Amino acid sequence: MSLKETVNGTTLGDRILFILLLIVSFIGIFFMKEVLPQPRDVTIEVEGKLTHRYPLDTDRRVEVGSPFGHLTLEIKDRKARVTGASCPNKLCELQGWISRGVIICLPGRITVTVGGSEEPKDRKVDAITG
Amino acid sequence: MQLQDKYRIAILSAYALALHGFESLIPMPIPWIRVGLANIITVAAFILFGFRAAMMVTLVRVFIASLFTGSFLGPGFILSLGGGVSGILAMGFVLSLLPGLFGPVGLSLIGALFHNLAQLFLAYILFIQKIEPVLIITPVLILIGTVTGLVNGLVADLLVKGLKNSGVTIQNTPQ
Repeated sequence: MSLKETVNGTTLGDRILFILLLIVSFIGIFFMKEVLPQPRDVTIEVEGKLTHRYPLDTDRRVEVGSPFGHLTLEIKDRKARVTGASCPNKLCELQGWISRGVIICLPGRITVTVGGSEEPKDRKVDAITG
Repeated sequence: MQLQDKYRIAILSAYALALHGFESLIPMPIPWIRVGLANIITVAAFILFGFRAAMMVTLVRVFIASLFTGSFLGPGFILSLGGGVSGILAMGFVLSLLPGLFGPVGLSLIGALFHNLAQLFLAYILFIQKIEPVLIITPVLILIGTVTGLVNGLVADLLVKGLKNSGVTIQNTPQ
């Protein structure tokens, strides 16, 4: 009994099911992101407190300042990026355009979130150590 | 349950446990993904001895493996148990509703699919509670489950046919 015989011994149902599952999963992988709700706005938090909220569909440039530093936020084509940050490493600028996710300016204690910003009541700590 | 059935279930469970343990030695890029080698035994038990034996083998494997690894009643245990039981239930339903349509490979694929779907559902209900990440990972898991289900089904088929050809007397005990 060889592997080849076993493969040949599969029923038509087996083969159809296998191909169907492959097709469904590939379609799912490529299209699931499109189906999900798109982020609608950009929120800016300073020291964990919400300070600004801008819609993602209007292009604009905003100056954000905190007692620890400042940066310029640019919104364009439903994407956001940070330019002109006051911090030494410019890590937030290097992150470039994002359409979903977070840019964090640690020295300035500023957080820029595109979409999926959680309400404070949903915010939970994963774990605390030390 | 006859004494012979108990022996069979014990031996099959031992094989399943050994494969389960062996599998944990294989490095995986993502921690929660497993090949599910133990399901080879589950599928073989299902084909040789039917639904009840396969269910018993899976329950014994899940419980004992979790006791060995110390994950008894933990999240991993709940997901294993839910996935394992749903996989066999799905295989049992499909075989009784559409007998002859699927061979061992198809049954293995169905088992893998429902195993993953049940785990995703349980993870959503109990642990994650956000639909977005679950929806994004669902097609990925279905794809991986389809590949591993195919491999496991082929190996189980080879195993069953090899056993039957080797002259070992295996009879299907009436359920």
